[in-house]
Amino acid sequence: MRDVFIEIWESVRRNKLRTCLTGFAVAWGIFMLIALLGAGNGIMNIFDSNSEGITVNSMRVYGNSTSKPYGGFKQGRLIELDEHDLKLTASPVFEDHIDEISASLSQGGFMMTYGKRYFSVSLNGVYPDIARLYGIEMLSGRFINHNDIEDKRKVLVITHLQARNFLGGKEDYDSLLGQRVKIGNLSFKIIGVRKSAENTDDSEIYTPYTTLRGIFSKSNKIDMLSFTFHGLDTEEENEAFEKDYKRVLNTYHGAAPDDERAIWISNSFTMNMQMNQGRNVLDVFLWVIGLFTLLSGIVGVSNIMLITVKERTHEFGIRKAIGASPWSIMKLIIAESVSITAFFGYIGMVLGMIACRVLDATVGSNPIEVLGESITIMQNPSVGLGVAAEATLLLIITGTLAGLIPARKASRVKPIEALRAE
Amino acid sequence: MLIELKDVNKTYNNGQPLHVLKGIDLSIDKGEFVSIMGASGSGKSTLLNILGILDNYDTGEYWLNGRLIKDLSERQAADYRNRMIGFIFQSFNLIGFKTAVENVELPLFYQGVSRHKRHALAMEYLERLGLKEWAGHYPNEMSEGQKQRVAIARALITHPQIILADEPTGALDSKTSVEVMELLGQLNREEEVTLIVVTHESGVANCTNKIIHIKDGVIGEIEMNSGHDASAFGTATIMK
Repeated sequence: MRDVFIEIWESVRRNKLRTCLTGFAVAWGIFMLIALLGAGNGIMNIFDSNSEGITVNSMRVYGNSTSKPYGGFKQGRLIELDEHDLKLTASPVFEDHIDEISASLSQGGFMMTYGKRYFSVSLNGVYPDIARLYGIEMLSGRFINHNDIEDKRKVLVITHLQARNFLGGKEDYDSLLGQRVKIGNLSFKIIGVRKSAENTDDSEIYTPYTTLRGIFSKSNKIDMLSFTFHGLDTEEENEAFEKDYKRVLNTYHGAAPDDERAIWISNSFTMNMQMNQGRNVLDVFLWVIGLFTLLSGIVGVSNIMLITVKERTHEFGIRKAIGASPWSIMKLIIAESVSITAFFGYIGMVLGMIACRVLDATVGSNPIEVLGESITIMQNPSVGLGVAAEATLLLIITGTLAGLIPARKASRVKPIEALRAE
Repeated sequence: MLIELKDVNKTYNNGQPLHVLKGIDLSIDKGEFVSIMGASGSGKSTLLNILGILDNYDTGEYWLNGRLIKDLSERQAADYRNRMIGFIFQSFNLIGFKTAVENVELPLFYQGVSRHKRHALAMEYLERLGLKEWAGHYPNEMSEGQKQRVAIARALITHPQIILADEPTGALDSKTSVEVMELLGQLNREEEVTLIVVTHESGVANCTNKIIHIKDGVIGEIEMNSGHDASAFGTATIMK
């Protein structure tokens, strides 16, 4: 093996400039590939972070407005979910798929007072599993639990921004636990501080569903119904399930059973699936652009190797005359091609990764203002080890391909003709 | 017999068919020092290429050391060349970017001999040919005579059955020519190397023990020349 490398080095050394110029094209190709994929990942990471924490398959169900007239009602009638929908959801028809059902109710226009500080807030009455559905991250204390629900406890989970405000800018959230705040005239206990989601004006204050319902709500309406499910593994299965589910709820609300819009369902499973499809399309697109850029580099290597073979025809003739097999000549050319491709490819790869770091430091950490909203367009643009390994493999394969035609040409050199070629 | 050719024919088909070898019958024994002599176009180079397994023949048989050399794969031909045949060329055919010792090592490299061993062996051969100090030099730093001696060392290193020399003195001045031919003669006497020299120079042929004349693709006269006094040649010199 060492002999082969010595031979390659001797050959490359004689054509430094030519080799470097060719290598540049390869390095550029791989650089583009890595930088593009890194940027693509950066964009996808933003989407991921927005749906972060949602790990279970769940559907959120909201009332909407009807899209067709039915049963004497005009189209466009507002549908509001109520507690009967919870019962329908829990009916045996759906028990094969539905695991845990919960509801949430929100009501605004409350004044929350803590010492001398007060704000206007809206309360969100929820079940414990909301924490999992929304990926709520607790910084201190705990989230609402089942005892809170059963006992209709007057407890609150506030956001860390609100907590910081209460504490006058300090972040000693633990000290707030157990503290009392006033909502209207009623005293509530703070049981937890949660992290409010990045980049949004997320200021929901959570309280047990039963508490909000029992104290403030005048009807049995609910804002949102949600449930976790299992056993729906394809898009078709999900669609069929949603159709059945909508039919049941539509019937109850007096909407056309086949009305697609009377009830609105947000399905985390299909959303993830569509996002993954989007990611795959983007990935394929970037790979294709990168590969075509790389292709021009590879053609360059192939071209240079052809010239090298032509120049070295006489030498190959000598080698063959003294006993070099065709394969050993082929090996020499392919090894040289792979070496050039891999060496410059690696330079390109490293530069590409540096470019990703630069992107991270510039675009990634500076949100830009779009229509008054601050938007980060990339988050941690980088490629994983997997892509680096794929790129390495790609370099070896393409290097071999680039060397193949010149190598075949070299190996087919007839020694007598080659010896004549001087 | 080490080499046996039976009715070997060869035709080149470049546009017009050219019948170059017209039934060659030839036997060469182990340890012989033979020259094949003929004018250009007589077929002597083609014959040498066939003997060296560098080229195929159309009909007939070529036996080398009891093996029929016919329709070999490229790989097989390369292997036979490597193990059984040493080449000495008119233009030396050393590889320019390799040092003398690396050039001598090359046939052993293709036999898969370890680097250390082949280097040692190559140094030994260079020393025997008086080129020890030149081992690290590149061909373009050496004189013509030195280059040819490096090529001879390269041909010898695999202990081939035969050494084929194609106009070995063609690029040398007469003094160096004499030296090279004496060296070949000495190798033949002392190491019993079988040597076949192709030449059109009568003086070179006169240095060998047997002169095979080839003309228009057929073997003509075979002259025994153990006294090195073949007719029409100046003895003791090589006419250029």
